[in-house]
Amino acid sequence: MVRLITHNLLACHAKGCTSNNFPLKLQDVAIEVREAEFNPDFVRGFLPRLEWKALVQAARELGDTSLPEEMPEMVDDGFLKNLHHVLLEIHIDEGAMICPNCGHTYPISNGIPNMLLAEHEIG
Amino acid sequence: MAPQVTATVVDDDPQSYESKHVHAVYDEIAPHFSSTRYKPWPIISQFISSLPVGWVGLDSGTGNGKYLPLPLERPTDIWTIGLDRSRNLLTIAQNAGNVTRDVVWGDALGQSWREGAFDYAISIATVHHLSTPERRKLAIQRLITAVSPSRGRILVYVWAIEQDEQSKRTIPQVADQSNGGEDVFVPWVLSKNVQGKQNQNRNGKPDTAPQDTNVQEDGSTTDRADAPRIYNRYYHMFARGELAELVEGAASMLGLHVGPLSPEAPLGIEIVQDGWERSNYYVELRRWKSS
Ligand SMILES: [Zn+2]
Repeated sequence: MVRLITHNLLACHAKGCTSNNFPLKLQDVAIEVREAEFNPDFVRGFLPRLEWKALVQAARELGDTSLPEEMPEMVDDGFLKNLHHVLLEIHIDEGAMICPNCGHTYPISNGIPNMLLAEHEIG
Repeated sequence: MAPQVTATVVDDDPQSYESKHVHAVYDEIAPHFSSTRYKPWPIISQFISSLPVGWVGLDSGTGNGKYLPLPLERPTDIWTIGLDRSRNLLTIAQNAGNVTRDVVWGDALGQSWREGAFDYAISIATVHHLSTPERRKLAIQRLITAVSPSRGRILVYVWAIEQDEQSKRTIPQVADQSNGGEDVFVPWVLSKNVQGKQNQNRNGKPDTAPQDTNVQEDGSTTDRADAPRIYNRYYHMFARGELAELVEGAASMLGLHVGPLSPEAPLGIEIVQDGWERSNYYVELRRWKSS
């Protein structure tokens, strides 16, 4: 599956595409929400390494507005629950991810993103 | 008589060679392969169990995703994403341990991540499928750049020439060893009646090393019309010391000091474990930043 936790890690790796290659733009996506076990310690631990703006933007593109624009300084359970939902419960089953820099399209089919490039296309 | 490991020579452009002798084979044998891989090696379990809560990692060459559910004692404390070249294996990995997993169809030589995005990376039984020293070194570089420069941890596992006595495998000694290791084909026997044998496993050993499970059993009982198909997979069997050498080469190409944390270099990587476990060599690495 592609969840937003994965989307927050992926970047374009086409040859020569080394800046402005993150976050990939979501396009024509079909999503499904599936419950996942909530572990507040995991979410709190991962939080400092998130690319916050990219996550908020992606969540809003998928219709979820529960996250604040800026990463809050005070982290409570309600916030962690919202973050858990955004990171781990929204599944992208179909669609595509487009590089904002070079326009390369990475398709998603049956929940699996295709990040393969021909070898001469790899930077 | 079981099919044996045979020496081979990489006689094509490496990418086409791997496509034919690695990727195509795994796509073909995916369900059967998957039914025989199930028990993690102790070193791998220990490594994953030692990771702090909140860490996120990459399993490069995840196969059927058998490491994605680890650590079994606290499965939601860390989160591992699986990368593989075989789409058929990924459809199995997607549901490893009966929990939905995130998997990515990609290449161990690609780098489709924000640099340093992960806290850890594992590469189990994958680098030995790359057919030149340069490509194996590049695979290690990709692991290094995928993890955090200040604390990233890495575990790499590859098949060794030095075999476990129990493996009963005869390794040919004729191959060109100028690279240190040996290039071989390892047969995978896909019997026609695998369905009924799915959960059978010889002596219950955990397996990372390639196995030709079912060979004797099926080979001796099936008749000709039902003859098993044999698929040869390419492996580079590592020589002693070759894996650490590869890591040192990869690290210095990235400008990293190799060794324990030192004030003399800004960035480095330490080989914290370098060992052999039942027919495999492994190294555990830690990245560090000195300021
Ligand atoms: Zn790009």
